[in-house]
Amino acid sequence: MNGVHAIAAERFADRVEAECLTALPLGAYARAEEVRYLFLAASGPYALAHPREAEAPLRAVSGTFPLFSWDEREMAQEWGVRFDALPDARPLRGTAGEMPPAIVAQGAGLMRFVVGPVHAGINEPGRFTFSSGGETIVHLDAQLSYAHRGVERHVEGLGALQAAPLVARICGSCSAARSFAYARALEQLAGIELAREVELARLVLAEFERIYNHLGDLAASAAGAGWGPGFASGMALKERAIRLCRLAGGHRLLFDAIVPGGVGAQTLRERPRIARELADLARDIEAYLTRLFAQSSTVARWQRAGVVSRESAHAFGAVGPAHRASRGEIDVRTFAPYGAYREFAVRIAHASGGDSFGRLRVKRDEIRESLRLIGAALAEIGDAALPDPQPMAVPAGDATAVVEGPRGSEVVALHTGGDGILTRLHVISASYRNWPLVARAMDGNIVPDFPLVNKSFNLCYACADR
Amino acid sequence: MKRETFRKSLGVRHVACGSCNGCEHEMNALSNAFYDITQDGYDIVASPRHADIVTVTGPMTPAMRAAARETLDAVPRPRIVVAIGDCAAGEGPWSGAPSAGPGAGIELQATITVRGCPPTPEEIRAALKSLPLSS
Ligand code: SF4
Repeated sequence: MNGVHAIAAERFADRVEAECLTALPLGAYARAEEVRYLFLAASGPYALAHPREAEAPLRAVSGTFPLFSWDEREMAQEWGVRFDALPDARPLRGTAGEMPPAIVAQGAGLMRFVVGPVHAGINEPGRFTFSSGGETIVHLDAQLSYAHRGVERHVEGLGALQAAPLVARICGSCSAARSFAYARALEQLAGIELAREVELARLVLAEFERIYNHLGDLAASAAGAGWGPGFASGMALKERAIRLCRLAGGHRLLFDAIVPGGVGAQTLRERPRIARELADLARDIEAYLTRLFAQSSTVARWQRAGVVSRESAHAFGAVGPAHRASRGEIDVRTFAPYGAYREFAVRIAHASGGDSFGRLRVKRDEIRESLRLIGAALAEIGDAALPDPQPMAVPAGDATAVVEGPRGSEVVALHTGGDGILTRLHVISASYRNWPLVARAMDGNIVPDFPLVNKSFNLCYACADR
Repeated sequence: MKRETFRKSLGVRHVACGSCNGCEHEMNALSNAFYDITQDGYDIVASPRHADIVTVTGPMTPAMRAAARETLDAVPRPRIVVAIGDCAAGEGPWSGAPSAGPGAGIELQATITVRGCPPTPEEIRAALKSLPLSS
């Protein structure tokens, strides 16, 4: 199934719910004309759409699949979409600096405490309202949106090609993945294919982004469990990975390394040096991973902390390592392969416990696989020249593209008018998908485990808030 | 403010005001083994009460405005505000976006600004070391 399928209002919610059982639900968005719920099938993304002219209220799908809760709250708040039976009818984001009230558990002996929006470390802002009975967390309400800049509205009216550097800066931690999805959506719209070397180079860049992110997550999770040396060594390795990003893509965080029509001019210039430093880094990473996972007191803190059952992972729409650690099967790189992932058999990492340990094990195994993929792709590219980005004319239309970022599916949906002007851009980040699950993963856990459970997900705020 | 007062004991407190997290990656890098700014006398502190320097990033969002002010007000004087990145300088990618303010560094009257998107850890460290600490 591909494309956009218009469904009448009275059958819409039933149809979306049925689809959730057979395809990967990605999220939903509105624009003036319609509401779209997006799914991913092996053949690519598709949408169920409901035209808004009638404006009959839609039955909220989040009553059955809470994964749509944030999307439906956002559509109601920012696009005036009317829903029946929205289980959480609070606005998603603050208005004029005022956050909606937090949900707090009531009962004898329960207390509440609030953390944020400014956190103790160098972190992004968010407000966490804990309800606890002694050390045990009864409920956690995670409220974000402190980094909401209005990026989607801001790019409306810009040329789609001109907006690419802005899209790269929605979120610093998954910039390459988002630029990758944005470029693919535009290339699909323009009907162009890229040279094989360029697709291979994009794979290299995307996998470097996964490596530096996962290394940072492992290091922070060692810190969360109180093991200083694991933090220090992990952060040093992350720095080396980031320096390799600079060498491979011209920017430490890979901003503007993947551009519409190809890759940036700095991409893979010093290949012998990259290969040499990669080999050194791979060796030291392997030694680190072995040492980290042999540190039994650290691993013991991760085990059984922040358990997400397979059922809640499904109901909340978990993606990425959070999905695969709860016995999920899907990785976009193999489920709906794109670019150079069509030629490599990516070995997908899995875990079954759904705990912090499982998520970190998935990340550990993904680092190893990313290193292997980069090596294989570099060998395929050899010393072939990388062509300049392909010029393209962006026609009026719409396109959706999905790639597997470090935290899971990164979705870009865009609509263009005449002269390739963006009329609507919607970004559904893996972090936006997974955040509600972090809060639920804490139910019944102890307060001191929050940092390490949180870091086992290590979600972004900027691309969730936009 | 006398230079001697602060030598080798400067507390740095960070406040993200709608940044993309890119600047935070580089601020965090200052503590890794390659930069280790503790060797230069700087310490990233958890409480504004322990801070001498406040680094700010991002364009400033309406949601962060009150919290950023409160954090700054909790820092003992004398204190120095340092703007990190183009967003904080008011000239970043989201300048002019519907919920983006004038730049955290502009709004909170930063003493110095480190440009870049994001600035590298070397650039941030050099800027911290160049701070006018005596008056
Ligand atoms: S200056 Fe660049 S890296 Fe820093 S917050 Fe702004 S967009 Fe992100």
